[in-house]
Amino acid sequence: MSLAVAAEGVTRRFGRRWALRGVDLAVPRGTVVALLGANGTGKTTLLRLISTLLRPTAGRLEVLGRTLPAGGDAIRARAAFMTAGGHAYEELTGVENLRFAARMSGTEAAADDLRGALAAVNLAGAADVPVRAWSTGMRKRLELARLGLRPLELVLLDEPFASLDEDGVRLVHEAVRRWRAAGTAVVIASHRVEDATRHADEIVRLVGGRAAAATR
Amino acid sequence: MSGLARRAAAILWKDILSETRARQGFTAMLSFAALVLFMFGFAIGVDNDLLERLAGGLLWVAIIFTGTLSLGRTFQNEELAGGTRLLRLYPGDPRAIYLGKLAGNLVVLAALEIVLFPAAAILYRVDFAAQAGPLLLVAALGTFGFSVIGTFFSALTVHLRARELLLPLLLFPALVPVVLGSVGATDAFLAGDPLGRAGGWLRLLASYDVILFVVCVWIFPVVLEE
Repeated sequence: MSLAVAAEGVTRRFGRRWALRGVDLAVPRGTVVALLGANGTGKTTLLRLISTLLRPTAGRLEVLGRTLPAGGDAIRARAAFMTAGGHAYEELTGVENLRFAARMSGTEAAADDLRGALAAVNLAGAADVPVRAWSTGMRKRLELARLGLRPLELVLLDEPFASLDEDGVRLVHEAVRRWRAAGTAVVIASHRVEDATRHADEIVRLVGGRAAAATR
Repeated sequence: MSGLARRAAAILWKDILSETRARQGFTAMLSFAALVLFMFGFAIGVDNDLLERLAGGLLWVAIIFTGTLSLGRTFQNEELAGGTRLLRLYPGDPRAIYLGKLAGNLVVLAALEIVLFPAAAILYRVDFAAQAGPLLLVAALGTFGFSVIGTFFSALTVHLRARELLLPLLLFPALVPVVLGSVGATDAFLAGDPLGRAGGWLRLLASYDVILFVVCVWIFPVVLEE
């Protein structure tokens, strides 16, 4: 099975602090990998490296067949990263936020499609309300809707279950199931072990910036 | 429309929509600009000849001071939305981010100048209308140069703690040719350009604008790196 992510000895340093020290990771296409670990062990840094937001200080990182950092643009066209804090503009409505995301991704989605994407995450009633009036959980659902706008080969989720109610958590699980069935690789970094590992084909634990164990 | 232009247009659309809904930013900017113009008027007093002679310089200083406030906010709405660097997660040339933000700043500064020029004309008793065409060209070149370098430095300083202080510290020295060219050309046109100096100032402005634009567009992707 070909790999969506292949990391060999990936290291990242911020000033004098080492966030990752020689991490090896292999994520086959169509599989789900759960990244576990305490705060500050490098989970988010690893996702940011894979997403092309950061460059490794050392090591080799190949994503969707492209070696970073040279192949960044080709990777971004086929991968998406849901950050823990989300990415939404306060003054824009839900539909407008999705329209912006679609345009930035190089597509022009019809208003009905955008409303459909919001309805799929139970946000139909808030579609025309500015995001500044939304709760954190609703913003998280908006992120989920954004990821559903285009076909993806790799999805990176950072704390996707945080701030969500039961229905929201169910929506994340459904999305992960759908992506996996479609052959999309999914990497989930979370402190909610039970949720993060529910669909996981492999569990990777990070300790002190190192991949301590891979199980399952 | 190319992918680069489409993404730049998407950023411009999003920023204008946000700005027109939030509104406080532009209103505060206009109030500040009016205060600056009044302060200069009070400082110089009732000497009409002196006010008239200095009008070009005072107007451009008011535009630069007020515009710096606006430029400082260029990337702050991105930070509130989750982070400027998240825009890099979208595929395509990251220069689209710079071009979209630059276009947004040009729109805001043009709106500011539409109010400032008539206000300065009334306060300083200067007849800008008599030289409307040439002054429009000066305003366009000056505003473009100001926006080009301001947008770039705004991106460069957005992640720094002392960004409010650092932006003008970096920006003002780089703006010297823009200020010299704009004030020189404005003064020359207001005086009827008896010595034919306006052309030289316009050439300085245009050349500096082109150089700034090429350099800023070229190196902008590095600014977004972490």
